[in-house]
Order: sequence, then C-alpha cells, then structure tokens
Amino acid sequence: MFNLSSLVQKAQSFIDPMQALNISASDRNPAKSLLFRHQFRLPDSQTPLQEITAELTISPPIAYAPNATQGEKDRDRDRGYHYAGKLHLSESYLCFSTQPTSFLPTASTSISSGFTGQTHGAGPGGNGFTLPLCAIRRVERLHSQSFQFALSITTWNGITNNASNDTTKTPVYQQKITIQLAGSRQACERFCDGLKRGLKSGVGEVGKLKRVVSECFSEYLLQGDGKKSGDAPDAGLGTIFRYPGDARKLRDRSKMRLWGEYLRENGRNVTLIRQPTFHKLIRVGLPNRLRGEIWELTSGSLFLRLENPTLFVDTLAKFEGRESLAIDEIEKDLNRSLPEYPGFQSEEGIERLRRVLTAYSWTNEEVGYCQAMNIVVAALLIYMSESQAFFLLSTLCDRLLPGYYSTTMYGTLLDQRVFESLVEKTMPILWDHLVKADVQLSVVSLPWFLSLYINSMPLVFAFRVLDVFFLEGPKVLFQVGLAILRINGEELLDATDDGAFISVLKSYFSKLDESAHPKSENAKLRAVTRFQELMVVAFKEFSGITQASITEQRNKHKDAVLNNIESFAKRTSIRNLGPDSKRLNVEELGALYDRFYGILYERQQRSQIIQEETERRAKASRARAAEVVTGLAERQSIEKGRVGLGPSPTLMDYDGFREFLAGMARWAISDSPTPPEKDGPAEREKHSYFGNSVRRRENSLSPWGYGNPEPADHEFMRRLFRRWDVDMNSALTLQNVVTGIAHIKGKGDIMGSITYFFELYDDDGDGKVDREGILRISEALLFLSRRGLDGSLTPSTSMTGLSEYEAGNGGVVDGPYGSTQERFLSSVSAFIRRCFEYADPDHPQNQEIDDSKANGSADNNAFGIGEDSDEEQEQDLLDLGPDASPKRGKKPTGLASVPSPSENPNTNGNQRNVSKAMSERANAALDPSKPLHITLPTFRMVVLADELLEQFFESSFPASFRISEKLATGPASSSSSLTTFSNIGFGRSNPASQAGIGGTGSAGLVPPGKGLRGVLDNIVTDGMRVAAEVRRRMDEAQKELEKNAVPRPEDEEDEDEGYDGKGPSGGYGGDAERRSVRSEDRDLLEGADAEAGSTKGQEGVSVVKPGNLSPTGVESHRARSISQASTDTQKVVEFER
Amino acid sequence: MAEATAPKPSSSVKLVLLGEAAVGKSSLVLRFVNNDFQENKEPTIGAAFLTQKCNLPTRTIKFEIWDTAGQERFASLAPMYYRNAQSALVVYDLTKPTSLIKAKHWVAELQRQASPGIVIALVGNKLDLTNEPSSSSNALGEDGDGEAADGEDADGDARKVSTAEAKSYAEEEGLLFFETSAKLGTNVTEVFTAIANAIPETSLKGARGPGAASGTTGRAEDQSRVNLTGPRDNASKEGCAC
Repeated sequence: MFNLSSLVQKAQSFIDPMQALNISASDRNPAKSLLFRHQFRLPDSQTPLQEITAELTISPPIAYAPNATQGEKDRDRDRGYHYAGKLHLSESYLCFSTQPTSFLPTASTSISSGFTGQTHGAGPGGNGFTLPLCAIRRVERLHSQSFQFALSITTWNGITNNASNDTTKTPVYQQKITIQLAGSRQACERFCDGLKRGLKSGVGEVGKLKRVVSECFSEYLLQGDGKKSGDAPDAGLGTIFRYPGDARKLRDRSKMRLWGEYLRENGRNVTLIRQPTFHKLIRVGLPNRLRGEIWELTSGSLFLRLENPTLFVDTLAKFEGRESLAIDEIEKDLNRSLPEYPGFQSEEGIERLRRVLTAYSWTNEEVGYCQAMNIVVAALLIYMSESQAFFLLSTLCDRLLPGYYSTTMYGTLLDQRVFESLVEKTMPILWDHLVKADVQLSVVSLPWFLSLYINSMPLVFAFRVLDVFFLEGPKVLFQVGLAILRINGEELLDATDDGAFISVLKSYFSKLDESAHPKSENAKLRAVTRFQELMVVAFKEFSGITQASITEQRNKHKDAVLNNIESFAKRTSIRNLGPDSKRLNVEELGALYDRFYGILYERQQRSQIIQEETERRAKASRARAAEVVTGLAERQSIEKGRVGLGPSPTLMDYDGFREFLAGMARWAISDSPTPPEKDGPAEREKHSYFGNSVRRRENSLSPWGYGNPEPADHEFMRRLFRRWDVDMNSALTLQNVVTGIAHIKGKGDIMGSITYFFELYDDDGDGKVDREGILRISEALLFLSRRGLDGSLTPSTSMTGLSEYEAGNGGVVDGPYGSTQERFLSSVSAFIRRCFEYADPDHPQNQEIDDSKANGSADNNAFGIGEDSDEEQEQDLLDLGPDASPKRGKKPTGLASVPSPSENPNTNGNQRNVSKAMSERANAALDPSKPLHITLPTFRMVVLADELLEQFFESSFPASFRISEKLATGPASSSSSLTTFSNIGFGRSNPASQAGIGGTGSAGLVPPGKGLRGVLDNIVTDGMRVAAEVRRRMDEAQKELEKNAVPRPEDEEDEDEGYDGKGPSGGYGGDAERRSVRSEDRDLLEGADAEAGSTKGQEGVSVVKPGNLSPTGVESHRARSISQASTDTQKVVEFER
Repeated sequence: MAEATAPKPSSSVKLVLLGEAAVGKSSLVLRFVNNDFQENKEPTIGAAFLTQKCNLPTRTIKFEIWDTAGQERFASLAPMYYRNAQSALVVYDLTKPTSLIKAKHWVAELQRQASPGIVIALVGNKLDLTNEPSSSSNALGEDGDGEAADGEDADGDARKVSTAEAKSYAEEEGLLFFETSAKLGTNVTEVFTAIANAIPETSLKGARGPGAASGTTGRAEDQSRVNLTGPRDNASKEGCAC
C-alpha cells in the first residue's frame, strides 16, 4: 500500500494558499473594487463604497404579520440563524459575507483577497447575500437596547407573486432580514446614509428587477401549488427535449423539494440568502429546472442581466442581417454542438444556439467566436433561456475563463501550463512518467478546460462539475483534472504513449456511473460511484488548490506562455509578408517585426499609462492584488496590445512611424537633448516588449517614453510615410513597413536608391521635380546627413563635432570628421547648383534656348551662377530671414521643422543658416519667373557627379536604416568610433574633388562660426571646376554601376523556439498510486447525516435548531417539512465538507 | 475487432493533419480510418486522436493520427500536436486558392519547427468537385458543407488550384503530393501508404509489445476511433481491477 496521505500533505504544503497572498509586505493597496466585484460576482460598474462589521440574523420565514411588532423583535434576534461577517455597500448592491474580507483602502492585500483561499465548499461570497438595492422593499431601523444599530430589511422577495396573486389567500412569504451593525455610532450612521441614498436611486429599477426575475424558474416554482398562473419561464431546451440523464436516478424530485424548501425559507434569485445548506445543495447536483437559475446566480451573470436586461435582444436586432467572419465560423459548427442531444437535432435548438453565439460575437468582437464556445453554450441552453445563456457566456469569457477563447487562446495555454505544473507538484511520479514517456499532458487536458469537461465526461457528470464551477470558480477545473489523474494514476503509469494515455482516460470517463468499489463488502461503500469518488478526491485531497494558488502559478508562467505565442505569431506573420520581404533576410524581418510591434505596444502602453497616471498617483499601484483574483484582469488592461494576448493594434500612425524610424536611423532622432538612460539599450529592449512591463510604468511619462530619444519630424519623414502608406489610410501595416524598407535596403544598387529618392519628391508622378522639390531634396540630404553619414557607425559624431564648434573652446576639430561633414555640405551645395544648372525649363518656348545653353555654354552658365552666389553669400548669411524665400513659405528653413530647435540653438542655427544660405543662393541665382524642373536622368547625373552623394545613395542612405542593430542613442556613447563616411570605401575619391575641398578640409582649425562659412566660400570658388568635372565623372560613375551591388550577409536566424511545455521533472516525492477513498472520506460518503455543523468552525456560523425554538403552532408544520427535508437529505446528500 | 497478429514488424508513426478550416481534414481521416464518410458529429476541440494500421509488404505501420482543429486561432496550439510527429498531412482545398497559401505556411512552419526529417505530404482535397458536376457535393462532411456551397459551380469545374501549380510547389519543397477526394475515397489510402513508405526505417520507434498493459487495450482495437472527447461510445470494455 502506498501512502497517499503523506504525498497529499506534501502537495498541499506546496500549494499553501497563504504563500500566494503573502504579499502584504508591499504597501501597495490592492484593487479593492476588483476584488470586491469578484467576491460578490458583481458587474464592473460596482465599487465598494462602505463596509461595516455586522451580524446577520435570518428570521424564520414564517408568515408573520408583515411588520414585526415591537414585542417580537427581541425574540427575532434569538431565533433563526446568525452569521457574523461584513456588510458591504456599493452603488447598487448590498452584500453580506461571512468571509472576513475588507475593501477599505487601509486593508491589507491578504485581507482583501481572503476569499481567494480555501472555500470550504462555499463560493467566494461565503454565507450571506448579494442584494440589489432595488430588491429591497423597506429598511427599518429597530430600536434596540443591546445594539446600537439594527436594521430590518424587507425584500421584494417573490415580487412577481405579489403582483399577480395579491388577492389570493396564499400567505405572502415576506422575507425579512435583520442586521446588527457593529461599529461606532458615526460609522453606522454613515453606512445608513449611504444605504439610504442607494435605496433612493434604486427605486426606479424595480420594474427592471421584476422583468428579470420573471425569467427565473424559482418564481414559478414558488407560486402557490395549484395556483400556477401563466407559462413557466423558459428553463432551457430541457423542458422541451427532456433533460439529459435519468431524472429518477438523479433524484430530481427530491432535489426539487429540497430546493423549494430552501428557497421558500431563504429567498429566491436576487433575494437569496446563502447558507451552508445552499452550498451543500449545489454540491449534490442541481435539479434540472433550477439549474440554469442557480448557475446564473452563483456566477453573477444574473446581475449582469439585471443591469441591462434587453442587451441580448437589442444586440440581435441591431446587427440583424450583418455578416462577419465569426458568423461564418459559427454556422460551420452549429450542427456539431452536442449533436447527441435531441434538442440540437432540431431547428429550435440550433436557432437558439445560433442566436446566442451570434449575439455574443457582436458584443465582444475581439473574441468573436471560438470553437468550444458552441459546446459550452449548447450545454447552457439545455438549462436556461437564450438571454440567460448569453449573459452567462459573457461572464465565462470575461471573468471565469479569461483569455480562453481569445484569438490567441493564451488563457487556455496558460492554464495548461499551470495544470502541468500542478501535476508536477502534486503527483511527481506520474509527472516523471509523462516526461519519460514523452506524453504531453495538455493534448489530453486541453479539451477538459476549454469545453469545461462537457465534451469529455458524460453530460450528467459534466453538469455536476459545472454546478460547482459556477459557484467556486475556475479552480474547480484544476481540482477535477488533478483528481482524474490521481484516480487513474496506476493505469496512467502503464501508458507509454499519447494514445494509451487517452484511452485510459476515455475508458474511465465512460464508467463514471459505476461503483468505485464494486467488490467492497460494505454496501454503502459499494454504492459510491466513481463520480462521487472523483468529487471527493477533487475537493478533499486537492482542497489546497485555491484561486490564490492558481493565480500564483499563472503569474509564474505567464511570460513564458506569451512568449511562445508571440514567437509563433511572429514566425507566421513573417512568413506571410509576401514577395517583397524576400529582399530582406530572416533576421532583418524578425528585427523589423519586433520593432514594429514593439513600437505599437509601447505607444499603447504609454498612452494608457499617461492616461492613468493621475489616478495612479492618487491611489498607489493596484496591480498586485488584482492579480490575486484573476491573475490577468488588471494586467490585461495594462498589457493590452501585447500580441500574445489577442487582438492587438496592427496599424502604425505617423507618430509611431517617427518613433519607429528613430529606433533605426540616427537622422530620425530630433536634436533636442535626450534624458540619460539607466539601462543599456539592450536591457531596455528586453524589458520593454517581451519582458515584464511593470517597470516601464515608473519610467514613461514623456510621450516617447523614458530614455527614448525624441523622434524628429521632418518633411522627408512625412514623404517616406506617405510613400509607404500604399493603402492611403494614414497608417502603416507591418507589410507596408517591410515593403518600404525592402525597397530602400533591399535593392543594393545605387540607381535604385537614386530613383527611389527622386520618386519621393516627384509629387505628381510626372517624372519631374521642380525648383521647390530640388530645394526640398537638398534639405533632406542635409537632414539625413546632419549626424554623420556613416552607414552603421556611431551616432553622435556629428553631435560631438558640433558641440565642439559651439562651445568654441576646442579649436581643434577632429580632422577626418570635420572634413567629411564639411565635404558633404559642399556636395549638397554643388548638388543644388548643378540641379539648376542642368534643369529643364518648363516652358517649351524656352526649351530651345536652354538646350543650346546647356549644350554650348554649360561652363559659362555654371560660372555665372557661381559668381552670383559668391557675391550674395555674405548677405544671405547675415540678413536674409525666412521671408526672403517666398516660394518656400511652408518650410522656410532647412531644418526648422525639427522639433524644439530652441533646445539646441547653436547646432540648429548653424545648420539652418547653412541650408538657408544655400537655398537663398540658389534662389537668387535663378530667375523665379522661369519655372524649371529636373528629370530623373538629370537627377541621377547630378548625384553621380559628386562622389560623396554617390556614396550617400549607394550605401550610406540604405545603411542608415539599421534594422538589426541596436541603435545607441545619446552623446554619451559616441566615443567608440569616429569612423565616418570617409572610411567606407572613400579611398577611391576623385583627386579633383579632393583638391577642391582640400583647402577647407585641411583647415581643421577653422575658428568656430567661421568653419561653415569657409566651406561655402570654397564651394563657390570651386564651383566652376567641379561643374567641369561633371560629365567626365558621369561616365566613370556609369561604369562603376555594375560593381556597386553590395551583397549583404544572409544570416540565418536561429529561431529555435520549439513548443516545449515541460519543465524539469519533479523528484520522487511519494507514491501516487493509492487512490481508494480514505477512511475520513468514507465517513463523508456515508454521510447522510451531513449536517451543517461541520462547517461551523470555518464559517463562523451558529446554528440554532429552529425546531427547538419555534414556539407556536406553526412548528408542527415546520417540523414536518424539516423532517421531510432531512429524509431527503439522507438520500441525496452524498458528502459534505 | 481482433488484434492484428501479423508477424511482420510493427511500428508506430505519429502523423499530424494541418490545414485551413473546412478543407476536409477530418473527412480524410475518417475515410482512412473507417473507410466511411459518415458525418463527423464531434467538433474538433484542440485535436482528435485516431489510430489506423497500414500494412506494407515488409512491415506494419500504425498511424497515430492527430487531427487538429482548423479554426485560425487554434493555430497556436498546433506546435503541441506536431511535436515529435514523424509525418504530416498538409491539406488544402483545391477549390479554394487561399487554402493552398495557408498550406504553404504550414509546410514552412513544419520544415522549420517540427522534428527534422518529418515526412510531409501535400494533399489537395475535394477532387470530386472538379471535372464532373457533382450534385451532392456537400457530402464532404463536416468541414465541407460551407465550402461546397460557395465554391461549387453547379455544373462546372470548381477547381481553382491547378495540379501543376501545387505539384511544382511540392516538388520544390520535397513533399509528397496527392489530390484526393475524401467523399469518393479517391487516393486516400494511397496518401497514407505513400507516407508509410517514405518514413525512413531508422526513424521508426521500435515495435511495441503487444498489449503492454491493460491500459493499452483500447489501442489494440484495430479501427476504432479513439477520440479525446468521446466517452460516449462504449467501444472498450476492459476489466480494470481498481
């Protein structure tokens, strides 16, 4: 015999619920409202407003005179049931629970999330009630000596009854609850004031309440016998097509009697009071016709329905006739949802299913429809109306099974991982075996969770699991799953592959109704079915599995699971990028993908965080406690947009694009100073997207995020954005971005680059760029080059250089750097000059003249321009403001559009002056009345005429998009290398141009402020000579074209992210084999004498036997009914806790 | 059914079916396993598991077939199922060009992520919808219903993916290639036989001992459909002494 209990103990010590909650060390206040809603299963609109310690007294439900007289009140207090607990008030609910939870801002996390621990058979709400304020008919304050404050609450219990049967003699069961508030007079009064306000605003809702509860079967059930009027509310397809299972075998009548009794005494639907019997009655299985209603009540979807009773009908009406992908998918599955149930072989059943699934897909388009929802909804529809099923489905998807049915199904995968880790902890031997036999557990268990066992067990048993699931929450799925494995442990140890494993369990499920101990001599033991055994094992042996421990595990595995999903999504996405993406290698595509979604994700986070910041500052962070409840809920909102969590943004707007470019290209970073970084860029990257986002919250209040450089905003970037935005919707998809980059980087030939650049500025696509365009091109060239021209080198050489200029203290300027930078300036200058020189006039009548000029006297012309410029140069620099160039009103200065130039005035000033100067010079040199343009061949020629420009288009520009490397930002990191453009193959520079610039280049000691002037002077004087070179170099460049293809290394990305859910195997902790029911369990199973007493200690309940106290003649009636009830209990109650 | 006691060596091969929704994956499997076209009443949640033996002249291959769900969002579960698979059937609908694109994605995914040396067969299903007009074209089973209604030209050729196109792609990628009709049974067994033949001898797991344990009895049923989700057919009656 293996010793099982020691193993269990060990397991439970692993899963100590308090460990998960032991986070009160942090001073953070939990998300009280979230916890509150989860405890009482309230809609999202509710927040805890008031709370007070109180004692609940439930007076015997006898038809007393509606108003208890003064004399009776003391006896009221002594009679009935007393529960100590907390009374909570929200906007429209009054809740009482024996769970000692508090949602005060001062309460610690462990107190606030106390209900996530062991539930002892009750739901998170414990014993108590969850009363909508509109269901309260009257509140009286009782004058009592021993208690400061006692409230007597009369409810609208049986509201439908009262209305229709007022005239009958049926006694009206007036439900009356007495609550003693324990607190200072002030606190009590405050609470009562709040309650008063709430009641007032709830008055208007009574009509709604009436409508909602009229759909509850209990209202019909409790109408006086023989006086039932009207049709019974829709209790699901079962009323038409029979409920699954044998009603006699299920003891449906006995259960119904017990429930009738309970509901009569404790209120129905919204006014129901939860007492231990309530939970016990759920454990033994709900009667068919009440099942839907109790599900609705325990899951809280009833309150959702109360909030918006017509949502289901309205949604269907609103979207009638519309089509969607979800609807197509739904249609495919309608005939495959519980097809063995007769109701779903009928048009009626199929129609209901279609309507519920469709309506939900419209209300939650992110989820839409996921296979398995059809099965779950089909099951619900057997027991409840369409509208009820609709709201219950919402509750399932949003709260009970977060992420299960999302487009990435991360919730499902996460819980599979959690389940595996629980198996590893609780059944190490079995786990070891699974690992050795290479059986992947989730292939078996995934459908269990995804379809809530409905598709795995025979329906009658699956519904029993659901009964408890809706009451206690998702942990039940884990408990049952573990129990299944535990019970079948021995046989599973013999199974050596997936097939055998599945087969064992399949056979087990088919025998759930058989005796668990067929050979036992003990008749009672023999009567215990396998299903009963399963329930005992699940809720006894695995009682340590709590909501809190599940949450802890979810948090632990969440990142790994999301990363898996994301890497899968990435692979898929990259594969789908189409032919253009082939120009980039896999590594580049991967890096682009990361950057693209990283930016989208970060931007979303940031906007959300900025939005929340005010609130967050008021109340300290609340993330932690929220996780305790769902593990996802709070972070879900924070991490919204993470690819793995489901639908995430896929479009990048212009600001995002700026940020995207700033992450890749140095020129796309604005010139304003960036805040210093704490982390290295690599570190930051790791944390920002695929890692934990929590730390980001501290950091990012700037719209670009903490430590991120502010992106520039230049006309060139806008043009690029427009060019890439092929769909013309002002947003880029990943596809757009990849295509765009592929065209720039992927061509590898200079002609392509030049053409691309030209086309960027050819606004109307007529193959001509006008004067304006030429100037813009030159501005763009300066913009792109202002941080140096290297393809892939350090970012901040230019910064360093310029700051040295502006500081004016150095005098010594780095030679190679200075010359390259300056030479490029001169190249741009020459570019402008040449452009105008070779430009074609727009007017045909001028064509001839210009042609002859161009042919005959190019040199002359160039010379003239040069001279003019030379003379005006001084003036331009000194005098001309932006207004001087009327044609360029939009963007008067070259770099003026860079955001916040004032922050770096000297640098910008320099550059601006330069470009202005050149522009003005060019302008002045030309007659504005003569429109002209350049064509692509001209542009190409002009570019190729200059070595630097040629280099720029050949390698520097494409290389400035650095996809894979991390872009080091900020001046701090600049020291690494001063290698610039000149180092990359600049050795073969033309002696002529070298000479032309030589004077300036060697003037490394040009005084600050003078340097750029000097450059320009030189440019101008050299203009003629340079112009003369053009033709010759055109020819040379043309020859070199073929050699220019730059092959890039085709690095294969090693993306070896297989799907491996298995962690390290556990040790040999104990023996998992023994699985027969232990003696204490047996006691329970025999336990028809299951009385509420056993829960006394845990629940803080004091039970006063009504029989002993009820004084009057009513007693005999009561006694009879109670004995009736208890005999029924004898037969039905299988076990209790 | 009696356990096959062929003297030939027997080995198990894990096979996974992938492909867009509604291309007829489940139908193919049903045809192969049960030689049947009965409507598959059970939705595929995650994946359905089935086994079928394939007798070759020299050996017996026992396919352990994972029939995966086709809905797009289940794709992220696929790695769980193709893990350790020695063979894969990537199915497309030859009346629906997008399904071939999806199939190509699956092929790429498998080549990159699945076990090295995996034998992949590209299968164009719904051959019955081509050439001859088909009046009962929606008989393609659960997955076929919607498609047949859309793609079918009442009396024309609904083929939208040419044999040559798919075949050249298959050759390029080194895949086995078939066009099948699960409805008519055309080529279905051939696909599986070809896969069985293509599995290299060395990659076969050793034969399992017959009835290694009581737990494996279920598997011994030659043509039973062992479904993850199905307790409802009481095919296996094993006496398990608990």
